[in-house]
This record gives sequence, C-alpha cells and structure tokens, in this order.
Amino acid sequence: MRTLLWGMALAACAATPVFAADSCANVTGDVVLSARTPQVDLYDSANGKVVSTLDRDKFPDCTPVTARAPNMMLKVSVNGTDYWVPPHMVNARLAGKGTAICRNLAMGEDTTKVGSTRGLGEDCPKTTAPGQ
Amino acid sequence: MNPFGFSDLTQRYTQDIAELLITGPYFYPTTGHDHVSVALIEDDTLNTLQMPWPWKYGDHARALDALLDLHPKAVVVDILFVDPREDDTLPQLVEEIARYKRAGVPLYFTDATDTKPGEYPLRKEFFDTSVRQIDPSIDVNAGIARQYPVTGKCFGRDVGHGPCKSLALRVFEDNYPNVQVPPLEGLIELVWGTRTDPTNNKWMRVQNDDGTVGNCEPRVTGFARIFDAFFDTSAVRVRCPYTSVIPAESLFSGAPDPDVEKITKDHIVFYGAALQGVEDRSFTPVNGLLPNVFIHAMALDNLISFKGHPQQNVVTIGGVTLSNNGAQLAAILPVILILSWIHMQRLKVVRRRKARTGESEVSATIEYFMDKFTDFVWHMLALALALAAGLMLMLNLGLSVANWVEVVFVAVELAAMLLISVPDAIWGYLHHVAGGEPDQPREQGT
Repeated sequence: MRTLLWGMALAACAATPVFAADSCANVTGDVVLSARTPQVDLYDSANGKVVSTLDRDKFPDCTPVTARAPNMMLKVSVNGTDYWVPPHMVNARLAGKGTAICRNLAMGEDTTKVGSTRGLGEDCPKTTAPGQ
Repeated sequence: MNPFGFSDLTQRYTQDIAELLITGPYFYPTTGHDHVSVALIEDDTLNTLQMPWPWKYGDHARALDALLDLHPKAVVVDILFVDPREDDTLPQLVEEIARYKRAGVPLYFTDATDTKPGEYPLRKEFFDTSVRQIDPSIDVNAGIARQYPVTGKCFGRDVGHGPCKSLALRVFEDNYPNVQVPPLEGLIELVWGTRTDPTNNKWMRVQNDDGTVGNCEPRVTGFARIFDAFFDTSAVRVRCPYTSVIPAESLFSGAPDPDVEKITKDHIVFYGAALQGVEDRSFTPVNGLLPNVFIHAMALDNLISFKGHPQQNVVTIGGVTLSNNGAQLAAILPVILILSWIHMQRLKVVRRRKARTGESEVSATIEYFMDKFTDFVWHMLALALALAAGLMLMLNLGLSVANWVEVVFVAVELAAMLLISVPDAIWGYLHHVAGGEPDQPREQGT
C-alpha cells in the first residue's frame, strides 16, 4: 500500500510540468507558463529598468511571449501593458533551440553552434585529439 | 641563506614542480568541487548577450538574482562597484542585496583598498546596505600567485574591531562556523589543484598546437610529463581551471540546466569577470594566466580541503611563530646529528675491524664497490631522513612543501657529502703534502 502511495505521489510530481504545459496548450508559440520565483520583476525594455514587481500569485499564467531579446529577456503583456521579464523568473515554453555554451580555451574564442535543449557542453565540438 | 635569491627561486620552482607533478594530480583532494564555484562573465558572454561592458547595476542584479534562485550557500561579488556613474538601475542592485538578506544567503561585495581618507571604498548606496564588505587583496610572489594573505583591510561595520581577515578566510569562517581555524600568522601557501572539475570538461575545449581539439585532461602523461615539468613547464600546465565555472550566459538564459544547478546549489559562488583589457588576471603555477577570482576561489578551496588548516610559510609551535628559515633549521639539525652519529659509528666499526685484522682481507675492487654502495645507502638515508623531517613539518605543523623541500634536501645532502668526502679529502691532501705514502693495500689495488 505504501509503495502504491509513493508511486502515486511520484507520478503526480512527474506529471506537474506536463500539466502546466498542457494547461497552456491553447496558446501557440512561445509562452510564459507561470512565475517561478517568489517575485517577478517587470522591465520597461529589454535593456531597461524594473518598473514593477509582481508577487508570484499575481503574475498571469499562459502569457504569450511576443518578442525575445539578445540578452534573453522575454516580452509579455501583463494587464494590457507590455513588459520584459527575465527568463529565470518564469517557467516558459520557448520554441527553437538555444545556443550551446562552449569555450575554446587556446584560441580564446567561442565555438558556438545551434543546439537543442541541453546541459552544459552538449553540442560543443567533439574532441579530436588522440586518446581524449 | 638566500645568496643571489637562489633559495627563493629554487623554493618556488620546487613548489611549481611539486604542484604540477605530485600534489595537484595525486594528493590535493577534490573536496572543493562540491563547495566552491565561479560564475564568470567573459568576452563571449558580452558577445552572446550583446551587453557591452561595463554592465549596468541592473544587469548584475539580474545575474545575482538568477544565482539566488539556484540556492547557493553564499555569493562573493568580485567586481568593484566604486566609481560614481549615472545609472537609473542602481536601486535594483540595492533591492537585490535586500533579497539576499531576506533569503538568508550571505552576499559579499569587495571594496577598493586604495581609496583616500574620507572616500567610500564602495558606492555609498551599497556601503550603507547590509552587504558584507571584504578586502580582495591577493599576494603575487615573483609574478605568480602562490601565496594568499591572512589579514585584510577592515570596512564598514568591521572598522575598529582589530585586524580583519582576508577574503577567503572571512568567507570560510562565516560559512563554516563549525570548523575551528587556528590563529594564522604569515601567509597561506596556496596549493593549486590540477584535477579540473568534471563540469568544466563538458563545455571547455583545448585547441592543441597541431590543430586538434582536446578536453581538459592533460595531454602529456607518464615519464614525458615528468620530463616536461622540468624542462618545458608550459607543456604540462592545465588549461582548464580546477574550480567549476558557471558561464554567465546560463544565468541569463534561465533554461533549466542540471549541471549549472549542481555546481551552484549549496556552493559558495564567486561572481567575477574575465575580460580582455581588464587587468584582473594573475599567473598561477598550474594554469598560467587566470582571472584573479580563481585565486580567491582556490584559497577558499584550500581552507575547505585542509579543514581550516591551510599550508603556510611559517610554523607555530606552542604559540611561538617561527619563520620558515627557523623551522627548517630546527628540522635539519636533528637530521644532521643523526647522520653524524651514524657516521661516527661507521668509522668506529671500520677502525675496529682494521685493528683486529691488520690489513684488509678483501680485494681492493670489492672494497671500492662496498664503499660506493655504502655511500649510496648513506645518501639515500640522508634523503629519507630529510623527507621525513619535511613531511613531519608539513603534516603536523602545516609548513608548505615550498618552504622546506629545497633547503632541507640541499642542506642534508651537503651535510652527507661533507661527512663522507670532505674530511677524507682533506686528510688525504694533508697526508700527501706532508710526504706521506698511501696505505699498502690501497696502493696494490690501484
């Protein structure tokens, strides 16, 4: 019985992100599913300043992302006003592939190419030196 | 003790070789990998994010907020915020300091150490907050970061409360209150790890001279590595830092990344920059040039790995602090006395044997090889005793390898050579000048 309960609890936990994603299934394209941090800062522009801060429960779910900036900021509309939010403060479903973060130490420059959702180093060039 | 700086040079050279060949790859633990990491802003970061340097305070606030979201144990900001400049995002960084306080995560800012009296070592807006302020000074020995200070300047609320601790020591004492740190004098001798954090190996690549791309593992191993360590140190240096690195881009992207989460959660994170044109790098024995933020990280790593008892250039016995010269002399003297006693015993045995048998019963050739063998054993014994004395100093009293290995070995070896050869040579010379003749058996043998 205890095993069954644990299994159900685990299944419920595992299903949470899917549920969150599914709950915004009606929104196509890039979308902010929900707030992630206790407070979400709202910026006036991608390189601007914080003009407002919303508590997590005040931030609307399933908010479409209307633009993405090179510095990763996401443009959303909250209560009819356009703001930019930092990605680390929200749970988002973003289309496309992120850019791999790699370093080429000897040459002092990046070896960068497009990759999929990944951990650090995935999509970095494979090693070619013998034995490495 | 230090003619023409010979002693200093050989000590430091020995320290470098020892770290590249012995302590770094084999003895220095990787404990620190689970405790310390560096969040780094690099030129690549600026290019990727299209955020020119210097960043606005709000940009740093954003990065620090992303770090806070990953649950670090503490964050040390190794970027100076001293110069007054117009920036309407300044309140965001002030608010970020408050967020750290609310979250109970210690946040440290480094202060300028060369400000004039009356000037703030940190922007007043930050100076007046709850942020902990520390001295980021480091020691550079002959151009290389081998030592680390024990004390630093006092700032803010610490002024007037006696000497303050250096950055790494302060952060360690604050965040590891259960580890007792003895009162430290002198300097910390940094031990540089060479086993790079596995996470670095995932995203750092090393371009070899022949165009091939390798990972962070050493290219040269085995005997070739030992050879190169003595004759071409650059060939055996480690290109990737020992401490795990969190690329600043990953903080800004906000994308869940298990690696970044792993090297941030419960870690003391140093937040710094490695940018061309920003003179904030130093040469290190095992990596070559590294941003100075890694020196602070390595010093903290040493304190964690050695449980608050870092290796030092001094020893403290019973409350008395001896310089490394004094400690070495104290260690060498018993060794030399032991060697002298053994030598005297050996001479007695030889004389007794000669007195008993008259002339030697063995051939001159055998006697020659026996003498050489005895010399060899003698030297090995001297080296073993020296090594034991040095290890005792290191393990019991925390004296760094660099501060004993050269003098102990050279002095003991010289003593052994003197005891064996010089008295005999002088005696032979005087005997010859006085018109004496060599012993018969030796003459027959030659």
